[in-house]
Amino acid sequence: MTSATRTLQAADEGRLELEAIVAALSSQYTVFTGPKQCVRRAQLDTFDRRLRAAGLTLEHQRLAAGEMLILRRAGGATTVAVPVTGLQWPALAEVLPTGPLREAIAPVTGIRALMVTSDETRRLRRLELHNQDGKTVARVELDEPASAAAAPARVSVRTLRGYDNQARRAARLLDGLGLHAVQDSEDNEPTLVAPMSRTDREVPASVLLTAALGDFLAAIRKNLPGLLDDVDIEFLHDFRVAVRRTRATLKLGRPALPEVMRSRWEPAFKGLGDMTTPVRDLDVYELDLPTMRGWLVAADPADLEPLAAHLRRRRTAQRRTLERRLRSVSFGRLVTEWEKELAQLADTRDDADQEHLSAGLLADRSISGAYQRVARGGVAISGDSPAEDLHQLRKRCKDLRYALEVFAPVVPEVPRKRAVTDLKGLQDVLGRFQDSEVQRQALRGFAEEMMAAGTSAGTVLAMGELIAHLDAEQHRAREEFDGAFARFARPASQRMMHRLGGRP
Amino acid sequence: MYNIKGGVGKTSTAVNLAYLSAREGRRTLLWDLDPQAAATYLFRVQARVKGGGHALVSRKRPLEAALKATDFDNLDLLPADFSYRNMDLDLDETKKRTRRLGQLLDSVADDYDVVFLDCPPSISLVSENVLHASDTLLVPLIPATLSLRTFEQLIRFVADSQGSRPEVVGFFSMADRRKRMHRDVIDAIPRDGTRVADTVIPALSIIEQMAERRAPVPAFAPTSRAALCYEQLWAEVRPT
Repeated sequence: MTSATRTLQAADEGRLELEAIVAALSSQYTVFTGPKQCVRRAQLDTFDRRLRAAGLTLEHQRLAAGEMLILRRAGGATTVAVPVTGLQWPALAEVLPTGPLREAIAPVTGIRALMVTSDETRRLRRLELHNQDGKTVARVELDEPASAAAAPARVSVRTLRGYDNQARRAARLLDGLGLHAVQDSEDNEPTLVAPMSRTDREVPASVLLTAALGDFLAAIRKNLPGLLDDVDIEFLHDFRVAVRRTRATLKLGRPALPEVMRSRWEPAFKGLGDMTTPVRDLDVYELDLPTMRGWLVAADPADLEPLAAHLRRRRTAQRRTLERRLRSVSFGRLVTEWEKELAQLADTRDDADQEHLSAGLLADRSISGAYQRVARGGVAISGDSPAEDLHQLRKRCKDLRYALEVFAPVVPEVPRKRAVTDLKGLQDVLGRFQDSEVQRQALRGFAEEMMAAGTSAGTVLAMGELIAHLDAEQHRAREEFDGAFARFARPASQRMMHRLGGRP
Repeated sequence: MYNIKGGVGKTSTAVNLAYLSAREGRRTLLWDLDPQAAATYLFRVQARVKGGGHALVSRKRPLEAALKATDFDNLDLLPADFSYRNMDLDLDETKKRTRRLGQLLDSVADDYDVVFLDCPPSISLVSENVLHASDTLLVPLIPATLSLRTFEQLIRFVADSQGSRPEVVGFFSMADRRKRMHRDVIDAIPRDGTRVADTVIPALSIIEQMAERRAPVPAFAPTSRAALCYEQLWAEVRPT
């Protein structure tokens, strides 16, 4: 197996002469030069670069002799190289051949699809450096662009395990040709989401809000192509998150934003969110089906197959509607006009903010208000409270969570993170309660539709078991609510909120 | 890869199966435990481990430092060293003397999917260690009466051992269908209770050429009958 790779290129990023490279290396090694090959190199990763974050790179190489998938650890160590045929991207990790490659990739990518992040055609010459026993002790690859626009020619020395000295020696010989080391281009790739920078509390609130709304619009745009192509279900999820954050920011920003935001844009984004809900719900059911099969006690997991087919059919129909709406002129206009609205807001705020509401003050008011609404709502929950009351409390928790996120640049970082952690505990319990409620009702609805279509009794009974499991889960969540709320409302948590402006 | 007898095709099989495992994309390690260093020679690696077997067994030197890449992707070798002839003595000085090789391999477990142990022919402390460290004991058998007797001895030896035991899988090696005795033994071997692979590795000159070509058969003669036989054998015994 290979380990680290050292990549070199000419000082002027110009051509590299094979003859000169071979001559330099031949002083110490017997050099075997492979034939010139044309290789198409596609770098693969998920949209949110999960492989990169895990220190992995995955390359799909297409040569005349065949195709390979090559997985490398950070630093260039080849972990796995597997011959493949007929793979098309984007695709989920389940299309990878069974074995160590899939075992290494699938847990990292999860439900996200692998897609091509860069693709170029190169001309390759592979050199093997042999010692006196005829053993390959290092590999060198001369990698030239197939077109002028591509990255300049490079030469890489690949270390073989146990032969590190030989690779260093070969690199030294190449240094003598005036080549210099280059960094892996992956390291220079910009991150998808820029980290949120700290902001002065005195800046106008509209400045902070406009910047946040601009970021959410960028996220909507970035996720739209993958959502339309149905690459994986996370594109829709992230699209919805961006829409939800936009709605929350508009609501929180009411005191600082023009009236048009409330009258026009709040309903517009609510409509956009609602438009995506049916497909997202069906995505979640499909995603949860394998877990649900595990809940069955009496029924056979195969009894749920008609449900899976029913969900797929419904999803196909709902996606068609969603796609039509997202490709429509009216959606395109909504995005364009929203962008113009934000630009206009950025341009006019200088005049309007002569007596501005500061970001810090709005943060304090928003967090305080949202916290008090959660605290009051939680105290009011009793053993007799209907499910709707817990649902309302969940919404209030979301408002507080968004307030803590939107105003992150102007509130103290440590208490904010702790407050989010405390809130998460309560949100988890309320989420489980509400999801169980919604899923139970949905399963009932599906069962009625499927019975009307003549599905078997076995399937309906299996779905009954799922409903019973969800009912038990909802009861468990309800029992845990009091403890979760007590933790959220404990004195230490209240003091933390106070530091964030959320006076208890 | 183990047999009490020598010259039965252990090393050839270990080298070829390890190559096939790596070719499938499994991260594969072959440890040449035989001081004769035949597998090490076949991969053109020098039969030398810094500090010898003693340094490895006593953990003065980490196993990882002795690993060598072969010329093939995904396939590494832990080379033999002449000092391995004293490995029994080295193991005898350790605390868990029958488990030490397994413990040493644990240190590189994350790096590999499959590990082949090419064992020297004998019943010794090394073999006991191999027994405990392995999931499968692949036993090459020459189709001869004495060979089967040795196989039975080995099965008893495994059955009598303490703790976890590997699955014993025999397969016929160096078989010559022209010899009546070979045919009779292959046909008559009892398969109940003991797993014997259906694939038979024939005695072919191309397998002997491995020493000359210093490479696995499927690497230098991928369409040869021998290569196909090893592929079939690997398909039968590879871990799922």
